[in-house]
Amino acid sequence: MAEITNTGFLTAISEQSAGVSIELDNVTKVYPGQSAPAVENFSMSIEPGEFVVFVGPSGCGKTTTMKMINRIIEPTSGSIRIDGKDVLSLDPNALRRHIGYVIQQIGLFPHRTIAENIGTVPRMLGWSKSKVAERVDELLRTVQLDPADFAKRYPKQLSGGQQQRAGVARALAANPPVMLMDEPFGATDPITREKLQAEFLRLQAELGKTIIFVTHDFDEAIRLGDRIAVMSERSKIEQFDTPANILAAPANDYVASFIGQGAAIKRLTLIPVTAARLLPVAEGSPGIPADGSLRDALDLIVLTGSRAINVVDADGRPMGSLDHATISAVLGTPSKRGGRG
Amino acid sequence: MSTATADPVDWSTGEVTRFRDRSAMVARWAAAPAFVAVALIATFAFVSALQLDSIEQRTLNPDYITARIREHIVLTIVASALVAVLAIPAGILVHRVQSRIFRGIVLTIGNIGQATPAIGVVILLAIVWQTGFATAVVALVAYSFLPVLRNTMIGLEQVSPEAKEAARGMGMTPGQVLRHIELPLATPTILAGLRTSLVFAVGVATVATFINAGGLGDMIVNGLKLQRFPVLLVGAVLVAAIAILIDWLAGIVEDLVRPKGL
Amino acid sequence: MVLLSPLKDEKGWFMDTGFNFAQLALFLSDRWGEIINLTVQHISVVAISLVIALVVGVAIGVAVWNKPISRATALAAAGIAITIPSLALLALLSPLLGLGWGPTIVALVFYSLLPIIRNTVVGLREVPAGVLESARGMGMSRARVMLTTQLPIAWPVILTGVRVAAQLTIGIAAIAAYVAGPGLGQYIFTGLSSIGSRNAINYALVGTVLVIVLALLVDGAFVFITRFTTSRGLRG
Repeated sequence: MAEITNTGFLTAISEQSAGVSIELDNVTKVYPGQSAPAVENFSMSIEPGEFVVFVGPSGCGKTTTMKMINRIIEPTSGSIRIDGKDVLSLDPNALRRHIGYVIQQIGLFPHRTIAENIGTVPRMLGWSKSKVAERVDELLRTVQLDPADFAKRYPKQLSGGQQQRAGVARALAANPPVMLMDEPFGATDPITREKLQAEFLRLQAELGKTIIFVTHDFDEAIRLGDRIAVMSERSKIEQFDTPANILAAPANDYVASFIGQGAAIKRLTLIPVTAARLLPVAEGSPGIPADGSLRDALDLIVLTGSRAINVVDADGRPMGSLDHATISAVLGTPSKRGGRG
Repeated sequence: MSTATADPVDWSTGEVTRFRDRSAMVARWAAAPAFVAVALIATFAFVSALQLDSIEQRTLNPDYITARIREHIVLTIVASALVAVLAIPAGILVHRVQSRIFRGIVLTIGNIGQATPAIGVVILLAIVWQTGFATAVVALVAYSFLPVLRNTMIGLEQVSPEAKEAARGMGMTPGQVLRHIELPLATPTILAGLRTSLVFAVGVATVATFINAGGLGDMIVNGLKLQRFPVLLVGAVLVAAIAILIDWLAGIVEDLVRPKGL
Repeated sequence: MVLLSPLKDEKGWFMDTGFNFAQLALFLSDRWGEIINLTVQHISVVAISLVIALVVGVAIGVAVWNKPISRATALAAAGIAITIPSLALLALLSPLLGLGWGPTIVALVFYSLLPIIRNTVVGLREVPAGVLESARGMGMSRARVMLTTQLPIAWPVILTGVRVAAQLTIGIAAIAAYVAGPGLGQYIFTGLSSIGSRNAINYALVGTVLVIVLALLVDGAFVFITRFTTSRGLRG
């Protein structure tokens, strides 16, 4: 009976491919033989379609916390609900087939082609051959790998960045509403990494999954997250807020030290130029598009040596101008309009 | 221990020597049959030029030689097949047992088994039980069981933890992880173990003559005892040829069965 | 006194072996001098063969490691050689070298070559290119780089090859007793030829067990040899 209900539930959430809520309630993990818990009384509520980043130093328990959601690690106590349903009541294998999972080492199966790797979960879910093949093609195009070129290749014939894309495609295969990602871009070089981040953001804008993303790189967290949980030892949440609010008002010294140098510049990246109080149009000054960030504006001021620059709308008409003082003024008042919206 | 092969597993440390040299492999595929052909032709030419006495004629004729070759190959194949059927599932079972202590015990017994001289096993078994074919098969199986079991365990343990975690993370049951991920990835190591045991078997089948189990060892031992060098030579060359060709065949099977992408 | 196994009562398998511990103790006390002698012989023949094989194998390895065709040929030849059943090789050698130590040492060296050549090649190829380049950059000659840099770095891998060879040859030396080779194999074959007599089992058992003990002890000794002959910077 329970089995039928569970299957029904999983089918139901898998139809809501656009993201479901996740709640963790007083979740604790104590490893056998260790007195101190790795995760202690962790509680968090994540909205459907939200992109949440766990950030903290190595060994702080962020990965353990994430892996309890798909029960790769079993919690010692507490409850975890996906779309209101306690995951501990579900068959772990059936559960995992409906949660996308990407790890840093990717873990592509070396003896299977890229197409076979991506088709693994759909095949387990009993999709027809033609449907699997269609889905694989679609996903390869989504992650910008040409199916004609890559489908038949083996993992070792791909570069690190390509493997990572294949890993993301594999996790997306059955269109799961939830994605768990453990430092998925951590092993790639900085340029590839930035490219993968940008592509992944674009992808997420279309898909609207509920994503939990673990990283120790704060800049990556700012770039990707709707909300960031800054964690310390035993997965203690030091602050859980939007990137803009964390940068503007770190909750404590720990968070401030984690943000590190250049907090102001990092904040400017997140604030659109339209958030500043514009001055009258300055004739003959360079222009910046209205969808640029204040960081872009500052760059332009420094590069051109102008005292002020104009903000121009989509049709190229100047809307007003910015200078050093107006940019500084935005940072002086924590912005409610900041962030990615 | 009567023979050994170029198996990639270094028993003493359990490390796999990841040395696969393409040109070495190509050279080897061509070299082994060529070498065997030359050795056989030279031996045949040498022996046919000789004036054989009556003792030599009794053994150096097609009927006698074919019978010895058949005995030798049957003993080798029967023992190796039994080892494959018994030791690989046993290796999987031991791997599945979570207890580290149990695995440690099995590996320690494996080490002792590795240090045991095959000739000692064969002769002890003949003394406490009986002589003949069945004893030779039992001795061979007992002897090759542990290396194959050990290679199966090592092969399974070497599968990358990331691949296993990814498989679990996408909801494969433990049985599916074993069938779809672990076993295919462990195949090369398991096959290397079987290949070792197969070549081993050819060698142990040679000493089976001491316990009246037949095979080409008969020719070698008779040749030595009766001071008939041609008999000894033909027996030794034939048994070496069989060992080299079986190793060669097993190597080709290994290459064909190895999962692509590795 | 104490019989080997309860199986004796049910199946009678062990009836004619006449094994019991009192007999074994008597056997050991009568022959301990001879047993020690055979054990020393066994170790000696293996040690002599390994030293010869080490010199020859490393020389071949050094000669071929960076020449693809020679390397492939050497490894293929050694790979074929090691599959030849040892009784066949020993028998073939005896008309040429007679009986005893001669054919035994030649055969043991023969079987030791593959692991030693292979590991020498692997070890030399694993020396980081940057290390070689900087050694050459300091103006060392090729021979000097080989002696002072490449071989010491490859040494632990080479020694692993010798260790594998030791395990192999300790077992093969037992078979060499059939061509009157030295060592514990003589007891194993005496056991065979005296089947039916009261001491057959004792001969075969003592010979076999001591070979096992020897193999395990030598394997353990290699842990120490590796430790004391490897640069401290290379130890784990």
